[in-house]
Amino acid sequence: MTIETPMTAEALATAGNGRPLGINWIGLGTMVRREVSRMIRVPIQAFVAPWISALLFIFIFGFVVGSRITQIGGHRYLEFVLPGIIMLNVVNAAFLQSSSAIYFSRFVRFIEEILVAPMSYAEMIAGSLSVVVLRASITGVGILVIGLAFGATHIESWPLFLFWMVSVSGVFGLLGIIVGLWSKSFEQLNMPVVFFLTPLSMVGGVFNTVGMLPPWLRWLAWGNPFFYFINGIRGSMIGFDETPPGLGIGLTLLLLVVLGLTVWRLYAKGYGLRE
Amino acid sequence: MPVPALKVSNLRKVYRRGTVAVDDLSLTIPEGEFFGFLGPNGAGKSTTIHCITGIAEPTEGTIEIFGLDAVKDYREARRLVGLCPQEFNVDPFANPRQIVDWMGGYFGMPARLRKERIDMLMERFDLIAHQKKQFRELSGGLKRRVVLARALVHDPRLIILDEPTAGVDVELRRVLWRYLAEINKDGKTILLTSHYLEEVERLCRQVAIVAKGKIAREGTKDEIAGRPGGLEQAYLVATGAEADHVAGQ
Repeated sequence: MTIETPMTAEALATAGNGRPLGINWIGLGTMVRREVSRMIRVPIQAFVAPWISALLFIFIFGFVVGSRITQIGGHRYLEFVLPGIIMLNVVNAAFLQSSSAIYFSRFVRFIEEILVAPMSYAEMIAGSLSVVVLRASITGVGILVIGLAFGATHIESWPLFLFWMVSVSGVFGLLGIIVGLWSKSFEQLNMPVVFFLTPLSMVGGVFNTVGMLPPWLRWLAWGNPFFYFINGIRGSMIGFDETPPGLGIGLTLLLLVVLGLTVWRLYAKGYGLRE
Repeated sequence: MPVPALKVSNLRKVYRRGTVAVDDLSLTIPEGEFFGFLGPNGAGKSTTIHCITGIAEPTEGTIEIFGLDAVKDYREARRLVGLCPQEFNVDPFANPRQIVDWMGGYFGMPARLRKERIDMLMERFDLIAHQKKQFRELSGGLKRRVVLARALVHDPRLIILDEPTAGVDVELRRVLWRYLAEINKDGKTILLTSHYLEEVERLCRQVAIVAKGKIAREGTKDEIAGRPGGLEQAYLVATGAEADHVAGQ
């Protein structure tokens, strides 16, 4: 039986003449398709859980606690808290998506499917991050819709809101890749969530302003990157911003560049990927 | 002089903990060859294959696939290679059709072409009735067929099969032998590792025996298997197993 197909001729023509291959868009799209199919297999874990948790937050802070708290910066307490809740869930969705995808593919070894394929490191990273942004955005927009439906919030600047959603997803997607490459067990995979993400996010200004903290504790907020992410998305939603203009955006872009280069370097070295 | 399908020069692979898996291994496989790569467990066969295909990073030495450097020009070189690994490195929750389709996608095959190839491969390997089942639900033989189909989906010029018939029944083994003989006849270069010497004798024209990370013996099948005791005796002597056996008596 002959199994000749146009693929061989195409591969030969491209590979043999020394020209570099262009972007493997089909490969990139396949990475996205594959991860989306994995995500769809666990809809409760991926989407329903954060949405239910957001609903509970709206109930507690909107009707139970919120009714007993005076306004913050001219906003109802629920309006103040909801941007932080969106950000917490965006961070979790982004980190869990990339860390679990990388770790599971290493654990079962189907990462080798990509290693033997003609995919560049940049394409591998872009493929992973595309799904991260997709999952985090669906999670965040879902919570926003719930908030809007209950009259719990509004958006002052859509471009800024989208910037914070996408850029923070990118930051934690890249961090998740690093942790997914580093982990040698499911225990290690969860360590950064327990010891880093949850504590820092809780003290990052979701529930309070910096001004509400005692002066000696304010360094905790200013030195905590989560504070800038939460403050940034809060600014885009209700216009309440506690940092100098551009500081949070600059810091986030810097983190994206540093983490992006770190991940690219790890891929190029084969850290956690190649034997 | 024609460019060989595979040229491995002075390959050395040392793992992080200092284990030397491959030590100064060189081999050349001309295009269109059916090459048997033999050796005991832990001899360095799979590590060599992993270095060729990008799963492992060579410590020293060079690897050329149809003249392309497998490290520097890795993207171009990998387009020409299909790997059927020894272990099932597959998403257990995906179905055979998805598994083969994704691999075709990674290799940049357009959807229409992928569909044609997948339809053909599903039929060829009797997977049509199983193509929507999860991989983890399949029997060992069916799983082996899936990883074979995955290795062939992009129609590679060099096909590397790492113990492709391990654990499969006689029927599938014979189907596979016929298929490999056909595609080799069509010009595909095949590198086969196997513990079944009968399989190697039946299919391969060139044979290399590797022991302790080095090539212990290399030549045509007739040169190696043509002496008294055949390929088995040559294998035992080359790997040192014969001497151990005599010493133990």
